[in-house]
Amino acid sequence: MTDAVLMLAQADFPTPMGVLTLNHYLFVSTAMFALGLIGFMTRRNLIIMFLCTELMFQAAGLALIAFGRYHLNFDGQTFVIFILTIAAAEAAMALALVVLLFRRRESLDADLWAELKG
Amino acid sequence: MNTAIAELPINPLLLYVACVLGAIGVILAMPRKGVSPMVFGGLLAAAAGGLIVLGLTSHAERHAQTPSIFFYIFGLLALGAGLRMITHPKPVYAALYFILTIIASSGLYLLLSAEFMAFALIIIYAGAILITYLFVIMLATLPPSEDDMDALATYDASAREPIVATFAGFTLLAVLTTMLFRGTLSLPVRHGMDSSDAILSKLPGKVEDNLSASLHAAELMTPEEHIARQVDVGRVWIDSARRRVLVSRGENTAGPDQGELVRWVDVPAEMWPADMVGTNVEGVGLNLLADHPMTIEIAGVILLMAMLGATVLARKQVDLEEEAKARQARHLALDVVAEDVG
Repeated sequence: MTDAVLMLAQADFPTPMGVLTLNHYLFVSTAMFALGLIGFMTRRNLIIMFLCTELMFQAAGLALIAFGRYHLNFDGQTFVIFILTIAAAEAAMALALVVLLFRRRESLDADLWAELKG
Repeated sequence: MNTAIAELPINPLLLYVACVLGAIGVILAMPRKGVSPMVFGGLLAAAAGGLIVLGLTSHAERHAQTPSIFFYIFGLLALGAGLRMITHPKPVYAALYFILTIIASSGLYLLLSAEFMAFALIIIYAGAILITYLFVIMLATLPPSEDDMDALATYDASAREPIVATFAGFTLLAVLTTMLFRGTLSLPVRHGMDSSDAILSKLPGKVEDNLSASLHAAELMTPEEHIARQVDVGRVWIDSARRRVLVSRGENTAGPDQGELVRWVDVPAEMWPADMVGTNVEGVGLNLLADHPMTIEIAGVILLMAMLGATVLARKQVDLEEEAKARQARHLALDVVAEDVG
């Protein structure tokens, strides 16, 4: 047991990636995006719908960082900073809207606003 | 044909089977009225994830790669928490599961050696944005009625078109991953940012610190001397071509023509920092400020607009519609009656 712990401690701790491929990360990112899309389409609660868009932002950010690592430059990380900004702005605006809509109808059901589709 | 499949990182058939399994799992895990086979659906989706991991791992062993265990832990944690987030009927729990997704994906960022973004993600997303969401969830939820504390609103209790949406989402996933697994793109081993000559042009202070420390240690510079620097323009007198530095005892140095105050010191070859590595924060900062300065401007304008917009929206006085007014009136009347009876 102690030997195993010592061996773990002596190994190169988080193996610095030469062994993983870009595809692994892109797969996680794609699956996350698909989950966010499914959630956006199925859930009827306005707040959860916006949470699902945040999940999709997250997936895009992971893909950007993975590509930046693949090309060994920092552009991907700069773009993720931008995504964080957009997500913060979107959260502020969307949540203000959600509170407004909730006060008007006393409900968060997206179907109540179906008349907006014209 | 078989050799072509063997070259792929995962067997396509396995991939599609995993996609179908995952889709069925997500459909089953969706909230619905009555008894919902949520646990079973979650298990099925986890099995699909396990299939993909198995396929990827067996390939990796064939090519003598041992993938980092941390990747699988963080990846499965992120996807599992994401699945739970889109299927949990209660909004508060969904937001908490999203925080778990954020933390797991910041672990993935660490594996991708993006340390700054990993911590920025936790601080900004989990710390600020998600807390805002939690506040709004608390603000915009009807108080639970007395008789059934656990009652869900109808729009939370059942999903809208779960089968069609899941089919669409997993078709997208299958198509994208088919393109994805056409070939493997192995990530290059990180070799640091640049050579020290390249860093000298971008981050002269870093080279200066490094050189002056080693020169002081080797007593090529006396303690009262320092590497000359033009204060107004910030230029350091390091001659990377001839491997020498200008050493000065004065404060402001205009150049090598200042006589007894300055002298050139030749740096021995072994002291020259040849393979200097820029840290992640330095790299991101340089990239943001030097290569994409417009990003900051645009981000600032967007944040300003969001702030103004949120203020305008929040100040607006909203009148309840007739129906909601009537509902609220009935609610209040019931309360009054209840108090009278009590």
